[in-house]
Amino acid sequence: MAAVPRPNPRRATARGLPFSASPLLDVKLPAWRSRLVLFVMFAAFLALAGRALWLQALSTDFLQKQGAARYARTLELPATRGKITDRNGEVLASSVPVKAVWAIPDDVLEAPPEKLRALSALLEMPEAELRKKLDSDRNFVYLKRQVEQETVDKIMKLQIAGIETRKEYKRFYPQADVTSHVVGFTNVEDAGQDGMELGMQKTLAGVTGSRRVIKDRLGRIVEDIAAVREPHDGRDLVLSLDSKIQYIAFTHLKEAVDRFKAKAGGVVVVDIKTGEVLALANLPTYNPNNRAILTGAMLRNRVITDTFEPGSTLKPFSIALALDTKRVTPNTIVQTSPGRLTIGTATIGDSHAHGPLTVSQIIQKSSNIGTAKIALQMQPQEMWEMFTTIGFGQQPKFGFPGAVAGRVRPYKSWRPIEQATMSYGHGISVSLLQLAHAYTIFARDGDLIPLSFQKLTAPPVGQRVITEKTAREMRAMLETATGPEGTAPKAQVPGYRVAGKTGTAYKIAGGRYVSKYVSSFVGFAPASDPRIIIAVMVDEPSGAHYGGEVAAPVFSAIAGSALRAMNVGPDSTVTSIIVPATVPQESM
Amino acid sequence: MSGRLSMVLATLLACSALSLVNAQYQARRLFIEIERAQAVTRQLEIEWSQLQLDQSTLGKHARIEANARRDLNMVPLTPARTQYITGEAR
Repeated sequence: MAAVPRPNPRRATARGLPFSASPLLDVKLPAWRSRLVLFVMFAAFLALAGRALWLQALSTDFLQKQGAARYARTLELPATRGKITDRNGEVLASSVPVKAVWAIPDDVLEAPPEKLRALSALLEMPEAELRKKLDSDRNFVYLKRQVEQETVDKIMKLQIAGIETRKEYKRFYPQADVTSHVVGFTNVEDAGQDGMELGMQKTLAGVTGSRRVIKDRLGRIVEDIAAVREPHDGRDLVLSLDSKIQYIAFTHLKEAVDRFKAKAGGVVVVDIKTGEVLALANLPTYNPNNRAILTGAMLRNRVITDTFEPGSTLKPFSIALALDTKRVTPNTIVQTSPGRLTIGTATIGDSHAHGPLTVSQIIQKSSNIGTAKIALQMQPQEMWEMFTTIGFGQQPKFGFPGAVAGRVRPYKSWRPIEQATMSYGHGISVSLLQLAHAYTIFARDGDLIPLSFQKLTAPPVGQRVITEKTAREMRAMLETATGPEGTAPKAQVPGYRVAGKTGTAYKIAGGRYVSKYVSSFVGFAPASDPRIIIAVMVDEPSGAHYGGEVAAPVFSAIAGSALRAMNVGPDSTVTSIIVPATVPQESM
Repeated sequence: MSGRLSMVLATLLACSALSLVNAQYQARRLFIEIERAQAVTRQLEIEWSQLQLDQSTLGKHARIEANARRDLNMVPLTPARTQYITGEAR
């Protein structure tokens, strides 16, 4: 049986011929046709290879960038500015995140008018002003900065196209006007502008970091694709201030400034053991949280950046120098009669003739003539060196921006009359802080320590200026000045022994002394073992102008409350102070 | 023999590939979790400083004094009415 080939449906021909027997195969085609096909295919492969080379090797950078742009994001990592706290950790300044609201003007202007009205209400901005801001060619306009989160949420709820927000920080000062001159404030960019905010800007400011990440479809971060640049928050700053004592100092100063309708006032409280500034207040003051109305007078830190002629508060230094160089003892008699003294062509005087006084009484009654007579026994250079050593006329190193040096003229140009007036604080200018600083030599057994606005961990090393004996003698003299016979009985504090010196000086206007005054008092307490120095200055008081009348009561009030606040035990059993009917007036 | 070896290797390869996928998935999941935790940390830090601010604002000495005087009728102490207790020297 012959094998009958089964019909194959896939057979190429309809005639039942097998493919190999197809007559078409016998057709002789020209060789160039197959070569052409081969060539075309080869060329196609070549083109593919070229394209691959182009994509993989030559334009990779561009392509990878394009790819990354679709999934990679660079995030800014914000850093917070450091907090400022007082010595007990109470916050004086802290940054809180807020939002800046900005707009793409063209988009926003397309919004319905009632939405714009609502927006202007939320921004607390008249609609006209809002429209003026939006009337701009730019693509980016700040509408309002430092808007609190709550308000921002409401604004976003309006769903106006073209309104965007940006994260930023706002600084809050909970103690407001009480600490403003020490703490200072920052501007809208979170950079320090005044006070310690400016002085410590470098350590307070944080360093923003950044990171590059891959985000998924839902906007979640899935991977870091480059090393993260860590943000560094600003370091917290612990000030030497004690907010309790600061408040005490501020309120009592305010009371005095209001009572005497004074133009201004300043007070500083210094810890004698460590040189830390416990309180520093100025009036007039301002609220750093709301600086809409801010005048130069409010901003001025009179304690540090203003100088004045200290007047009698300088006498103890001249006398201490005379004691130290053994020219006088506390009991040396100096004739101050008849209450006037002519040196060269000028005449100086006391408020009234005291007659013969001991050195101790010269301090107690604040005699200009007595001080001048003692000072004229000394060389100008000695006095100049004394003033310079205790910091007068020297650029202070308080670590506070804007601290002034004051003025002490070179001793070579001193005429005798100038030497005499300088010995009782005229013809020389100092800041209140310098004065308080200088008084540490009496309060601390003769050595001078640097002042600090930051909390210290270890007490600083002092530099000896006068002997311990002189310091003790001067303390005793200064204590008599606050006694019933002295110029400042109103400085007395119930329960504590105090020591200090009044100062009253004419102000200079246009190069001449005018009948406006600066009343001051510098003292320390308790006298038996001094803990704090308090320096008070009241500028242009009216009604009364003597330091003993105006500044001494402020000292007394602050010293009493501050010592109790510091838990210092009383060193006196006197519980009520006796102020004589007639207080000896100090000389100016 | 060689057929079986390649079967084993192919299975291992497949397993390895799957575990890679799983590991990558886990890594991303954990990453998202740590991100979330860090965001919470930041939020809490902000809240903490806000609370510190509130504490400072409410603890303002001016406010305490006003409250003590007005609501509690308190007066400042004077040494005349103060009994000092000093500890024994040791």
